[in-house]
Amino acid sequence: MAERRKYKKRYCKYCEAKVDFIDYKDVASLRFSLSERYKIMPRRLTGNCKRHQDMISVVIKRARAVALVPYTVTRKTVVTAPFENLR
Amino acid sequence: MRHYENLVIVKPTLTQEEIENTIAAIEDVLTSNGAEITARDKMGIRKLAYPIQKNERGYFHVMYYTAKPSVIGEIERRFRINEAILRFATIKYDSKREIAAWDKLVQKANTINKSTPVQASSAEEVVVEETIVTAPETVVEEVVVQETPIQE
Repeated sequence: MAERRKYKKRYCKYCEAKVDFIDYKDVASLRFSLSERYKIMPRRLTGNCKRHQDMISVVIKRARAVALVPYTVTRKTVVTAPFENLR
Repeated sequence: MRHYENLVIVKPTLTQEEIENTIAAIEDVLTSNGAEITARDKMGIRKLAYPIQKNERGYFHVMYYTAKPSVIGEIERRFRINEAILRFATIKYDSKREIAAWDKLVQKANTINKSTPVQASSAEEVVVEETIVTAPETVVEEVVVQETPIQE
């Protein structure tokens, strides 16, 4: 049934790069697992494995607590939200 | 002795001297409690993702140290009393893998400090420019990231 497959086969990008530990200060590496509104992307969309998804979710929450990554981005905050140092 | 990391955000409204004094006081809190600071990472003034106590910016300072677990409570208590600190985070590096990562981070921080001593006075001006000029900044940053990822 290979013809029916709509999407690309997903794989864990962190496994491919053999990531053992993710630093919460390195915001650029977290960007992949965050949506446009800075929500944590689900595993079914990113293809992350369980192990790395657990690591990522902890790290993103740390980064949020120290104001490196916003908790929410709404229409009101999107104007003032600092995107420049998050990329 | 366990491996820890502390990130501290100091109020940006203070003058340069006051910021340095508060950081010296913070490190004094650590060392007086028997912690050994192995590396420091001055991230400098950068924009916060959301305002904390109506501050849009903050002075970030990271310290890597080893200490006894019982000391951490006292250190955090002292941090809460200090009004110049907007936010702090203590992170424990416990497992073998995490300690290896800690060693790497320490090495990285030490090499950055030696190669490019952070000039805090000039860093302030840079931040102001970045906020105004957004378009070319992304291009410049990509180059910078490869060399010194934390400098931004």
